[in-house]
Amino acid sequence: MKDAAHALDALGNPVRREILRSLRDAPLSVGEIAERFPVSRPAVSRHLRVLEGAGLVESRAEGARNVYCVRVQGFAAVREYLDEFWDVALARLERLSRR
Amino acid sequence: MIRRSVRLAGDVHRAWSLFTGAATEWWPPSRRHLGDPESEVLIEAAGRFFERARDGREAELGRVTAWEPPDRLEMDFYPGTDAAHPTRVTVTFTADGDETVVEVTHGPGPESAGLFVVRAPAYERSWEAVLSALRERCQR
Repeated sequence: MKDAAHALDALGNPVRREILRSLRDAPLSVGEIAERFPVSRPAVSRHLRVLEGAGLVESRAEGARNVYCVRVQGFAAVREYLDEFWDVALARLERLSRR
Repeated sequence: MIRRSVRLAGDVHRAWSLFTGAATEWWPPSRRHLGDPESEVLIEAAGRFFERARDGREAELGRVTAWEPPDRLEMDFYPGTDAAHPTRVTVTFTADGDETVVEVTHGPGPESAGLFVVRAPAYERSWEAVLSALRERCQR
């Protein structure tokens, strides 16, 4: 799963994880994000570019401003894979124990 | 973080043996990586956790990081991500009468720390609800 590796590399940075946590509550502009973190506006823009490149956020125009929001598909496939894995695996293990 | 538990027939020693020694039988057939539906899945005390096809090809599925029979097993887990970004699986075995409760906790490791960040906390139980709520929010 190459996309997942790319996304996880992008989230290896704690500032980017915090930015993503803020965005899951509501879409925010670069300026609004910069107000919440001890990081300059250009630095926020750089972090957002990395997150966007990894498929974790997307931007859209909202009136005159540009806001960023979470792109949940970024990890949905991996988590569905892991969730479903244990449902299937443990059901099989349970049947095995009753044999 | 994913938490799942299952109640197995038999005592903790038997549950431990089934989990660690019979993974070939419970590992989902759709999650074999070597293109051999009858590959073996091996979880070893020495630390290896891997799949082996009948023709001898092998693929690492993770690494055993704690082996404490019959109570506790911990593994780095590669399926779903990769060896550079392992997730962490902890399995505990608890006696309950003549049965055993096996509980699996599956979460991120340091290299996969962002895996669950996108999840909205209000919807822990229903991933689908989170997805559609977030999608709607994005499309508004």
